[in-house]
Amino acid sequence: MAVHKRSYCGYAGQLTPLWSRFWIVTRYAFKNVFQWKLLTAFFVICFFFPLLCAVGIYVSHSTPLWAMFARLHFDVDAGFFFHFLRVQGSMAFILTALVGPGLVSPDLANSALPLYFCRPLSRAAYVVGKMLVLASLLSLITWVPGLLLFLIQSCLAGGSWMGANLWLAASIFLGSAIEILVFCVLALALSAWIKRKLAAGAALLAVFFFGAGFAEAVNAVLGTKKGALLDLARLIGTVEAHLFRQPWRSPISGGSAWIALLAVSGFCLWLLARKVRAYEVVGG
Amino acid sequence: MNDVAPDKSIVFEDVSKFYGEVLGVNRVNLSIPPGITSLVGPNGSGKTTLMNLMTGLVEPTRGRISVLGLSPRQPEQLFRQVGYCTQYDSFPRGLTGYQFVYSYLRLFGCGHAKANELAVQAIDRVSLGEAAQRSIASYSKGMRQRIKLAQAICHNPAVLVLDEPLNGLDPLIRAETIALFRALAEQGLHLIISSHVLHEVDVISDEVVLLSNGYVVAEGEIRGVRDEIQEHPMQILIRCNKPGALASQVFLEDYVVEARLHRDGMGLLVKTRDADRFYLLLNRIAQNGIDIESVAPADDDVLSVYEYLIGTEEPAK
Repeated sequence: MAVHKRSYCGYAGQLTPLWSRFWIVTRYAFKNVFQWKLLTAFFVICFFFPLLCAVGIYVSHSTPLWAMFARLHFDVDAGFFFHFLRVQGSMAFILTALVGPGLVSPDLANSALPLYFCRPLSRAAYVVGKMLVLASLLSLITWVPGLLLFLIQSCLAGGSWMGANLWLAASIFLGSAIEILVFCVLALALSAWIKRKLAAGAALLAVFFFGAGFAEAVNAVLGTKKGALLDLARLIGTVEAHLFRQPWRSPISGGSAWIALLAVSGFCLWLLARKVRAYEVVGG
Repeated sequence: MNDVAPDKSIVFEDVSKFYGEVLGVNRVNLSIPPGITSLVGPNGSGKTTLMNLMTGLVEPTRGRISVLGLSPRQPEQLFRQVGYCTQYDSFPRGLTGYQFVYSYLRLFGCGHAKANELAVQAIDRVSLGEAAQRSIASYSKGMRQRIKLAQAICHNPAVLVLDEPLNGLDPLIRAETIALFRALAEQGLHLIISSHVLHEVDVISDEVVLLSNGYVVAEGEIRGVRDEIQEHPMQILIRCNKPGALASQVFLEDYVVEARLHRDGMGLLVKTRDADRFYLLLNRIAQNGIDIESVAPADDDVLSVYEYLIGTEEPAK
């Protein structure tokens, strides 16, 4: 046996806390996301409607301006915020389709996961780091402007309006949160299972658009209305309508929609756990 | 393999790993000392599985693993001691060589200033200083291998696990890289290297572990492994001025099973079942007028040992 005198000096310096290291993943992923100019442009467009809504709220509290725009008369109430969230939800979906597929698939395609995990970074920290990118972008166009609009309305309408409608703030946050959760885990799961970014984006669109068709087919073939549980867009709409106490034509209850969305999220997390590993099992 | 204390070696105790019904490795018992240890075997023999097991990236189905006294289940402590370089081109998209090493140092837990300092040091050690600010996408295969190596050594680990680290390197860089490995080994590091390039394994390794179908078929110093294969006569090449005369003399001994003139006419290739007695015989012959220039074992390299042990299932050369 060769004899070696141990003379190396390992790194013994200070280390950042383990829990905080997922930020590195997030930061680099953010940098990649905003290298794509089309995405940056779309992200800016996502703020147009919230700005329009803010102007609308201001106009609704200005008597002379309100008189000028009498034909556009609207109330700033639960329906207003419900429609705000529906529009921003659609933008959030498009943003997810643009950003989501590029988060995990390049690391898998390049077999980069072992390098992350032997730094060490846990699988959960990796997923959280990647998910945070999408979650923060989606937050910036859903509940953050939603709550700002709520605050603007509260300032202009007075404390009594705010007191009476505080539940709306909770609805804005919860409605956005479930939407963001479903979009994030679905996008990451598809990104993990489909290595090609374009194909993963197409699969995300397919899940939502063909899901509605598939749900109708299930209803027609089985003579049931429970097929709606397979229609993610409808499930999200049902949950939001339930939260904002709005009329919504859906064969399933708000509670069932909540459970179905949480189950979908759980399934996606399971799919992620199966794929986000340091090694790939080759069947023999 | 050796008697090094467990907290200074990498120990596998009856380790098995199954991926569902697929065998990764089975009943592996190893103790790997400091220095360069090469894992040799064909594709699917279990080399990468062994590396993933010792780095905790894969959990063993059975058995116990200890790396310098640490369990791979303690990743925070373990990876302060271990550097890992995969066989794949595993680079997050869009990074420069410097950013690649720097970002993994940040993931390791270094602050900005320290990560910067260590990244520059590691990149310089693999001679990539000039290309550090270029995108990895523009790197050649050899440069990618070196930047991966820089990533593995950047935090000064005590154990380096390198999966196929010599693939794609040109001869000059390969020689530099091997010299770096030797320098690291001489500092007391454990270098675990898997390779298909058998003659290089032979040159750089202190120890070898030969794997086939998930089983360790031999381990130890390559010459020691060769000595234990009794059923295969040892081949010895003798360079001398009178190979014909030498052949006639050695063939009289019953432990010499074959003597063949070398194709250049200036040597004799002898197969013997008892190398020690043969060397004594050569000493006597050398005193009787035959000018022996050199004597060297001809089949104690990894390739020969591998062929003897595993037969036709040899790794790619």
